[in-house]
Formats: sequence, C-alpha cells, structure tokens
Amino acid sequence: MSVNSVPAVELRHITKRFAKVLANDDVSFTINKGEVVALLGENGAGKSTIMKILYGLYHATSGEILIEGKPTKIDSSKDAVNLGISMIQQHFSLVPPHTVTENIILGTCKGIIDYGTKEKEIQELADRYDFNVSATDYIRDLPVGAQQKVEILKALYLNAKILIMDEPTAVLTPQESVTLMKFVRDYAEKGNSVVFITHKMKEVMEVSDRIIVMRNGRVSGCLEKADTDERELARIMVGCDLEEVRSHHTSDQRPKKERLIVENLSVEYKNEVPLLSNINFAIHEGEIFGVAGVSGNGQQELCEAIYGYLKPTKGKVILDDEEITTLDVRSHIARGIGYLASDRHRYSMIGDMSLSENMLLKASYLDKWVHKGVIDRKKLDDYTKDAIKQYKIKAPDHAITIGSLSGGNQQKVVVAREVDMGENLIIIDQPTRGLDIGAINYVHKTILNEKQKGKSILLVSTELSEIFALSDRIAVIYKGKMMGIYKNGELTTDEIGLLMAGYEIDSAKTGGEDTEKE
Amino acid sequence: MDVVISLIFRAIFMSTPLILGAVGEIIAERTGMMVTAIEGIFLSGAWGGFIGVYLTGSYTVGFLTAMLCGLAVAMLYGLTTVYMDQHQIVMGTAITILMTGFCKFFFRAIFGTPTTPLKIEPLRVIKIPVLSDIPIVGPILFSQNIISYMTYVLVFAAGFIIFKTSLGLTLRSCGENPEAADVAGINVRRVRFWSVAVAGGLGGIAGAYYCICNAGMYSAEIISGRGWIAFGICFLGNWRPFSGLLFAVAFGISDALGIFAKTSQIGFLPTEFFNALPYILIIVLTICRKNLKMPANLGTNYVKEN
Amino acid sequence: MIQLKQEVRTLKKNRDVYDFIIWTVLAIAVGLVLSFSFLPMFGISSIDAMKIMITEIFSSSYSMGNILVKTAPLILTGLAFAFTYKAKLFNIGIQGQFYVGCITAAAISLKMQGHAPGLVVIILAALGSVAGGAFVGFMIGFFKAKFGANEFLVSMMSTYVFTYLNLFLMRTVLQESNHNYIKTDYLDKSVWLPQLIPGTAVSWGIVFSILVAVLVWFVLYKTSLGYRIRMTGLNKEAAGMAGIKPERQFMISFAISGAIAGFAGWIEVNGMQHMMLPDFDAEIGSFGVGIAILANSHPIGILFAALLFGFLQVGGTALGHASGAPPSVIELMQGFVMLFVLMSFFFRRKIEINRLKKLKSENEEVA
Repeated sequence: MSVNSVPAVELRHITKRFAKVLANDDVSFTINKGEVVALLGENGAGKSTIMKILYGLYHATSGEILIEGKPTKIDSSKDAVNLGISMIQQHFSLVPPHTVTENIILGTCKGIIDYGTKEKEIQELADRYDFNVSATDYIRDLPVGAQQKVEILKALYLNAKILIMDEPTAVLTPQESVTLMKFVRDYAEKGNSVVFITHKMKEVMEVSDRIIVMRNGRVSGCLEKADTDERELARIMVGCDLEEVRSHHTSDQRPKKERLIVENLSVEYKNEVPLLSNINFAIHEGEIFGVAGVSGNGQQELCEAIYGYLKPTKGKVILDDEEITTLDVRSHIARGIGYLASDRHRYSMIGDMSLSENMLLKASYLDKWVHKGVIDRKKLDDYTKDAIKQYKIKAPDHAITIGSLSGGNQQKVVVAREVDMGENLIIIDQPTRGLDIGAINYVHKTILNEKQKGKSILLVSTELSEIFALSDRIAVIYKGKMMGIYKNGELTTDEIGLLMAGYEIDSAKTGGEDTEKE
Repeated sequence: MDVVISLIFRAIFMSTPLILGAVGEIIAERTGMMVTAIEGIFLSGAWGGFIGVYLTGSYTVGFLTAMLCGLAVAMLYGLTTVYMDQHQIVMGTAITILMTGFCKFFFRAIFGTPTTPLKIEPLRVIKIPVLSDIPIVGPILFSQNIISYMTYVLVFAAGFIIFKTSLGLTLRSCGENPEAADVAGINVRRVRFWSVAVAGGLGGIAGAYYCICNAGMYSAEIISGRGWIAFGICFLGNWRPFSGLLFAVAFGISDALGIFAKTSQIGFLPTEFFNALPYILIIVLTICRKNLKMPANLGTNYVKEN
Repeated sequence: MIQLKQEVRTLKKNRDVYDFIIWTVLAIAVGLVLSFSFLPMFGISSIDAMKIMITEIFSSSYSMGNILVKTAPLILTGLAFAFTYKAKLFNIGIQGQFYVGCITAAAISLKMQGHAPGLVVIILAALGSVAGGAFVGFMIGFFKAKFGANEFLVSMMSTYVFTYLNLFLMRTVLQESNHNYIKTDYLDKSVWLPQLIPGTAVSWGIVFSILVAVLVWFVLYKTSLGYRIRMTGLNKEAAGMAGIKPERQFMISFAISGAIAGFAGWIEVNGMQHMMLPDFDAEIGSFGVGIAILANSHPIGILFAALLFGFLQVGGTALGHASGAPPSVIELMQGFVMLFVLMSFFFRRKIEINRLKKLKSENEEVA
C-alpha cells in the first residue's frame, strides 16, 4: 500500500437530502489504491447512499468528489463506469430471464451482438478467476452465490479499479463468504480498491485495511484495522446509548405458565440459505423475551412465521396449548396476537387512511367495531380519540391521515393498535427505530405495562440498550439460528456483541433452553 | 379449392395490420410500456392515412401521414406516462376517447358531410414474378400488397433486433429490471419513450391499412376494437414477433371465416360467433396460458427518488 | 407551537380538497376552451357556440331533463369503474357488463310483459340485469384471482364478445316481430320505468342512480367490506398482514362493479330506450372510466362528473342542431377534459413535492 500516492477517491463534505430524510450529513473520507475499506454501520446509517452517490445513481445535494485528486462530476452510472468505478448493489442488478453473458455486456456494446465471441470472452474471464459460472446460464436458474459472481464478473469485465460491494455476504453461506474474502484480498493486492459495505464486524476484521463507521448519516469513526478489535467496533456499532441501560427485568422469579412455544421452527427453501433453522424457545406469561441480533439475520421471518404470514417449512408454533402453525393470519388475529412489524409503512399502516381507519386495520373481521358488516364509526372514533389522548399522539383529530403525522406519532398509533389486538401475545419488531427519545420512552413504558398485564411479549430489536432495558430473557439470533438464550444480566455487552457477530462464547453460560451450536 | 385459397389469402391479407400493430406493441412492452392507447393510435392512423391519400392521391404520402399521426398520439401517451408518471391504463383510455372525438370532428372539418361516402382506390396487390405462379402458395403469399411484404420483413427484423442486438438487449432489460438497466448506465425513460413512439408509428400504418388497403374509405367505426386485438396478440405471442405473426394469422383466419360464413350461407354457426372469435380466443388463451413470459415490469412506471 | 402545527395540518387537509377542486375545474376549463377554439372551422365563433349551448339547454325543461336522462347511466358506469379502481383493479369491460344488463332486462321484460304485473316484471328485470352484470364481473375477478389472468385484457375483450352476443340475440330470438331490423320489439308501456318529471323523458332512473351512488359511498366508506376493498387497493401487503386475502377482494369488487354496470343497462332499457338496439350507448363504458377519473373515483364526485358529461352531451347535441357544429364536438370536449385533468394531477403533485422539500429544509434550519 503506497501511502504517498494520490487517493483513488476522495469524498468531501457530501450531504444528501431526500424529500423525507437527510441520508448523508457532511460525509468526508478517502479510498486509497490497493486498499480494502470497510464501511460499517447499522441499516439506515447512510452507507449505501454515499456509495450510490459515488456511483452516480444519486446526486449529492452538496459536496464534491475527487477522483485521482481531480474534482469530478459523476452524473450517471455511465460516468462512474468510465472512471473505473463499479458497484454491486445489495439487491443484485441482474435481469433474471437473461443469460450471464447478456447481463454482463448490458450497456457496453453496440450494434449486432456476436454472442459466440462474447460468451467465449466471458467464460475465459470466469475461468481465469476460478468462478464456477457458465456464460450461457440463465440468471434465474443460478443460486444467489453464483449470481453474485456474475455481478463481480460484470465489474471485472468493465475493468473496474474501484469496486464497491453493498452487503455482499448477506446472502452467502460461510464457505462462499470465505471465497469472496479471498477474492477481495487478491483483487486489492493488484492495486485496486474495494469498498466493502457491511454491518458485520467479523467480516470487517477479516478483510479490511481500514474501517469507516457510519451512524445516522455521519461518519462516526475511522480506524486502521491494526489499531482496533471487535470489542471496540461492537461498542461503536451499538453506539453510546449503552450508558442508558436500565434493568427492568422482574425480580419475581416464581415459575409461570408457558404461553407461546416455538419448536424446531424452520424456514428453508431449496437452493437458498435457510432463513430460519430449528428455532426453539418458549415465552411465559408476563414475560418479555428479547431477540437481539444484527438486522437481516432472520428476525422478520421469525415474527412472520409465528404470525402466520410466512408458512414455516418445519416445526410448530403453539399458543396456550393450541397449535397455530398452519393457521392463516386472520385466525392468528382472532386468537389475540398482535404484531408490530418493523417496516411500518409497508405492513402496519395505510398512509392515505385516517387514524380511525388505521385503528381498524386488523379488526375488519372482528366484531370489535363492526356490527353486521357496518362500521360503528362513533365507537371507533371514540376509541381512536382515547388512544390519541392516552398515548399522547400529536394529531389534531382522529380523521387526519396517518401519513401526515411524524414517524414517532405514526408508531404510537400502530403500537396502540397492536398492543390492544395482542390480548395474549404481542410480537414486536424494532418498536423504536427512528423515534426520538420521548417517543422511545413512551413505547418502552407501554411494553412494560403490557407485560404487567400478564401478556407474553416477543421483542425483536437491533438496539442492545432496548433489549437490556426491557427483556427478562435474551436470545441472540445470527443467520437464522439462535446463538443461545440467556437471562438478562447474565451477559455483558461485549459478549452479546460477539454472539451477534457469530462468535460462540467459550463458557457455557446457558440460562434458558439449550444453546444451538453452529 | 379456390374458395380455400381465397379464404387463406384473405386471412393473410387481414392479418397484416394486426401484425404491424402487434410488433410495435411488442417493442414497447419489451421495455415495460403497455401502449394502451393503441386503439386510438390505430384510429388516428386510419384517419391520417385516408386524408393523405384522398388529398394527394399518393399512397406514400398517405402512409407517411398515417405514421406521423400514430407517432404524435403515441408521443402524447409517452409524454404523459413516461415523463408525467400517469397510470398507463387510465391514460390510454383517455387518449382513445380523445382520438375518437378528434378524428370524427376533424374529418368533418375537412370534408364536411359528403352525400356519398368518400372513396379512394384501394392499394393494389403486387404479384411477385415467378413466385406468384407457384400453385397455392403463389396466390396466397406472393400476391399481397407492398405493406404486407414489408410487414413480413419487419417481423424478422424486429425479432432480430430484439434478440440479437445491443439495442434489443437494452429494450428487454428496461422491461425486466429497469433498476438494473439504470445501474448499467441506460436512460430508462428515454428508451421507453422512444419505443412507445415506434409502436405509434407502426400502429399508425396499421390503422391506415384498414382504409387504404382494405375498405378504400374511412368511417369512424373502421377500427372498432382491432387495436385491442393487436394488443392481445402481443400478450398471446409471448412478446415475440414471430409468435405474434402466427396468432395474427389465426385471427385473420377467423376474420376471413366470418366473411365466408356470411357469403356462403353455411349458417351452422352464426356470423357473430366468427366476429367474436378473436376476442373469445384472447380471453381463453389469456386464462389458460401458464408459461407467459411477461416482462417483469410491464405497466409500471419507472420513477426514481432523487 | 404544537397547537399551531395542528392548525397547519387541519388547514392542509382542507386545502388538499380545495386544491383538487380548483385544479380540476381549471383543467376542465382548459379542455373546453381548447375544444371550442376549433369551432370556427365550422364558421361558428367560439363565444357564440358557448352562448348557443347554454341558451339551447336552458330554453326548455325537456332539454334540461335530457341532461338528467343522460346522466343517470353515466353515474352508474362511473361508479362501476370506480369500485374496482378502489382495489387498484381495472374493469375496462363495463361496456360489456352494461350490454349484458341491457339484454337481460330487455329479454325478461319482453318475455314476461303481459304475463305478470308490470311492477313485478320491472323488478325482475332489474334483478336479472344486476345478476347478469355481477356474474360477468365475478368471472373476470375469478380469472384474475385463480389464474392470474390480466383483468385488463380479459375485461376489455369481454366487451366485444358481449357486443356480438347481443347482435346475435337481436338477430334471432329477440328480434322484432317483423324480422326486418336487428333490434328488439318495443317494450310494453306497463314495464317502462315510471316518469319522474312530466313533460320530460326523465324517469326514476336518475333517482335510482343517485341512490346507488349513495349506497356505493356507504359500502365503500361505512362497511367493513368496502374498507377491506379500499385497503387492498392502497396497500396490498398491509392487507395481507391484517388477514385479508387480496384475491377474495378482487372477486368481490369485480362482482359488485359488474352488478352496477348491469343495473345501468336496466335503467337505459326500461327507463329510456324501451328497446334494445345494436351499438346502443356504445361509449358509455369509456365515459364511465373518464367520469371516475375526473372524480378521483369518489362516489359523490362521480355524481358531478357524470352531470358534467351529461351536460356536454346534451349541450353538444343542441349546438349541433342550432348550428353547423358536428356532434363529435362532444367527444372532443370529453377527451380534452380528461387529458387535462390527468395532466393536472402531475402538476399538482409536482408543486406539492417542491413545497414539501422547501418546508423541510426550512424546518431543519430552524432546528
């Protein structure tokens, strides 16, 4: 690594504002030649946005980009490609019904395509890098691992000198990840630069030279790998919220009834990385069961499988001695299960409908506010007004559309609804993401309150502070597997951080059920 | 025998505009744009084509004006859907209503209310020397008009462009995964707009075919749903020009059979059945076909937050 | 501060409605002015044309009544399209379902008149036409739900199938007694819908149409059934997460849509035309689409949009009688109005987004 040479890329004070959010706020850093830079941060930290700006997919609101020391304007991805920049998107930019060759040459050739020659050319390229991919295969027939190789081949075909990879290992098996890491190292050895966007500390330590940590759209740390370790990174990842940890778990230790039992729950599709494998746990009455983990490790699938939205391929879900594994969502709702999905806009609210109508969302088949098919508006509105008062929702009235409220208030509406729908079990996924302190406290108080009523609560969160503050027991999920179940207080933050990164803890500190071994 | 030959001749003859329209529609739909204004485009082509031929006496001018009319309507459609992000189906319906009124209104503005229908000499067929003398095949395939010949060429050219050229790859990628095309540096909106324009040009000629080549006159009902048949053929032909050609000929046969049934008084099936046959076929085939390879992003506008 | 914000929001909500109305009225005006500006080609000045249109219409109660006659079925076809559009589905085959309603009403009326009391026949005809339309609509929804068939294509094609089916029926079993023309016999007066306003052609049809509009509004906004349909249209994923099966909503909304279109057929046959003809009201389906779009698919807005279309139809016809203007000016006006209303949606949204962005960055600077 030549220290003196001009950096391949320098980003200066980049700010990006979308209509609704500020995605990047004054971001500056450099990428040197022959270097692997890890861009580390939680989902929504602005890692992808800043790289999409470099790749010309987004235009920065302000700031400048220097390539080889020269200020450069990158208006489209075409410009970026011409500058030797390639980016592999998290959700691959491949056309499934087209062949490997067609995908690779897209946008690079003119006139009549001599498929024979192109296929040979690409096959040679693939063979040179030991990629086990056939140039004539259709993308839709390839497993994701191979699809990623196609994406890499595309970059190689374009002679990329700067390769940006957005969460490249998210979809890979451990073996595939190892191969990828090796490729990345070799590629950088040749004088190329690689930017590795990830939220997994383990990979960062394996592959990178330098680590840039982002949080809330800003750069919050820039470290040489040699000067840091996983524990420090884990701390920066989780942020300084750790001081706020308040232990709320019950001192009341008398054994209680098990209400929700999950047995060997698996969601595995052919030729794909398992989404969930053999999940086992039970939640007692009046218990908050926390599931910690870096996002995208199967949390959403776990919630949806319990809620009946996703059909498990194996295993059982039992609520109050009744098996509910194969029932549909409507029956789950009827059995008093509430589900606060993490993607509020997509699954939990209808932006163009009023607060009252959003309250009704999950109860349209129940007789709570509906009598003989007619909605009892008055009752519903009164209920909504009550909720507005009780949850201190900042809304002028019940008739305003939920989409016009702020995120925190939207979340309060949804929480109010789900808490009420979930008479027996409440599944809560990321209840406070993107909320301000006041709203967070309110939501936390609500959750603890519901626990006091004897409800069973499954709390999924990527915020460790939240897990520590609320849970009675804590499980860590990694790549769809439970890394162990512990009593709250049994583990340190560092230990949980390691579990979240996929490391086992040496001492067998099992508190609840048996720990799954990887 | 002669009856069968003339029947098949008629089938091929009547399939030409359907092929033309369908090929245009296929090109546009490959990029993800449903040209739901196709009925209006056909109508504008018939209108423009008739006016061109009637006023100048030149078929070339006629087809040129037809093409320009179709192009103009398609560009209006492209502007409002691609660049103004209006819903494709809603916009197509609106434009079709507009064109119905527009063509009637301006036909009357130009020609008033003639006491006898205005006529033009239908375009003559061209018998290709030697080939047209081949028994059976000759009178069917090689005694058609110039537009039909050009249409055959177009089918193969379109197939070649779509599947063998860089342009085709771009078109297909925009329809399957516009994000991927965007990442590859392709201006998705521009590609979509111009492919709609091409569909408009071809649709215009197709519409003109009905009055210049077939009827020799113009009426407001000259298209009456044929644009939609071309639209359906595009679906049934699995977005492939050559398969589209086969379906178009099938619909040509049902069209010819309808006329045949009327004139020959067979009457075991009502003529209305033959008239409705193309539409029934499209419904049945739409329901039954399982292996449709619809462009994944068909009908969705590409909007990027920025 | 909070108080202020809330007031701003309430204002905003009201302003959205005003904005919509203002922009739409503006777009309608532009469409009409553009259409009228072509009239000098026929030697009529645009201003005169407008004057003629208005004076002709308001000169007699008969022509004013005609507006209501035209409006009645337009309300229904507009509602029919809107009902599926609320579920983000496209029933472009309203014309076909309308024809099914027409022919069923005509057949029941013709076959039963004289055999049963008029009122009974009228009611049976109404039920028959509603059932016929509903069945056709349901089948389209069923094909969509069970086979994934493109409802747009299927419904579009079904119109032509039913058009030819009607022709066949009018040529054979339902042909008029002299067997000279392709049409049905006149309906006996006993099975006509009673007149509402003497001296005009206005029947009870307009009342029924308005009632249906109110009913549709009630179903859509006051019942759980309508709620589920709207919700599926707005956010299919959230609907699924709320235990609502989108496929089921497809079938329900299509069946109801078809029923409304069929009902329109009954109103036209028993209320206005009193027989069935080929090419009868051939564009009522497309106009329904246009009306629904104009009204942003709101049932009460549809009443006004249909009234506008009805007014344009009668006004255009009157203009044609009183001057040399062709009747096609009606379609021209309707077409331009729709085009500009759709375009106004784009501009309104664009202005709104720019305003939001500005507001946002101002807020950030304050904070």
